[in-house]
Amino acid sequence: MRPNDRKYSTSHEWAKKDGDTIVVGITDFAIEELSSGNTSDLVYCDLPDLGRILEVGETFGEIESVKAVADLNAPIGGEVVEVNSSLEEHLEKMAEDPWGAGWLVRIKPSGSEYDELMDAEAYEKHIAAPH
Amino acid sequence: MTRAQHPWRLITTLGAPPNFNMALDEALLEIGGAPTLRLYTWQPDTLSLGYFQKYAEVPGVAQASHVVRRITGGGAIHHAGELTFSLTTDLSDPIYQGAVPRSYERVHFAVIQALGQVGVRAKLRLDDSLASDQAATGMCFHHSTPLDIAWMGRKGMGSAQRRRGGRVLHHGSIKLATTPIEGAIATTSECGPCTEPADLIPHLCLAFEQELGMRLERGVPSPAERELASRLEPRYSDPEFLRRR
Repeated sequence: MRPNDRKYSTSHEWAKKDGDTIVVGITDFAIEELSSGNTSDLVYCDLPDLGRILEVGETFGEIESVKAVADLNAPIGGEVVEVNSSLEEHLEKMAEDPWGAGWLVRIKPSGSEYDELMDAEAYEKHIAAPH
Repeated sequence: MTRAQHPWRLITTLGAPPNFNMALDEALLEIGGAPTLRLYTWQPDTLSLGYFQKYAEVPGVAQASHVVRRITGGGAIHHAGELTFSLTTDLSDPIYQGAVPRSYERVHFAVIQALGQVGVRAKLRLDDSLASDQAATGMCFHHSTPLDIAWMGRKGMGSAQRRRGGRVLHHGSIKLATTPIEGAIATTSECGPCTEPADLIPHLCLAFEQELGMRLERGVPSPAERELASRLEPRYSDPEFLRRR
């Protein structure tokens, strides 16, 4: 079971409450799909500027593995208040610690979309189904 | 591999303008219509940069007639003497289920079958080293991974994907001949009679039908796809987009 201290989107981002902000990353499932377990397959990640206002579902960044470019979608709406700039030099963190050091952005939410995301159990069912 | 067959639209545009080629692929990705196989060539010859590539790190841009930046990843390709294909479909399509590398295996297996029909004994590179690998050119064909297709000890096909909104765009470039920018790579024309796109197209279509479960039906872009493509065309050679990195 994946961590139940956070919620999940259908496009494989996770969102975790931290005070009045929400930390966002992508799940181990998404990383595995892109890299097939080879951490060096992730080659680039483009993240948004600080202060950018995101709508729920909006593309806020892009990640490139050796063989595919994929969009990163905002699981909630709000303002980007922090970006994990350490990924620029250490992209392997996303694969090695997707739930912690591999976080992407911190968002100050503008609405209540967090409550509508899937919990860990629902996400497990989502990825188990054909997609 | 035997699969249940599903209808796929086949759009063939030989000798098409480079910005149109890229814009139509993006429109097919965005609009989300029928699964589509495009077969195309480029006029004039064009160097396409990978989405994240740094413009300054691809010296070949100075030698090509035209330059665009793709929305798919990977290295730069000089589109001359090649047959290009694109596949656009939902990620729920059986071809694309599972990890990204598995989808490459499926598509590349089909391409290898097609190449075999024109006398090219192609195979996945796997752990082999290739004579076509070179440093510091930024060119796709000078860098190889285990799932790349090679023959005669050199890379002969380039491929890349873009995944967006539950859809996928998969590009493939099969080399019929080489150019000074790409140099000693594998080409079909050195193995036999496949010197023109038309020599390979029927074999590629048949292999995709047999190996990927496609039932190809000739078609054209919808009005909505054409309209979106025409709006997207200018961006592909816009200096800001070209030099975004």
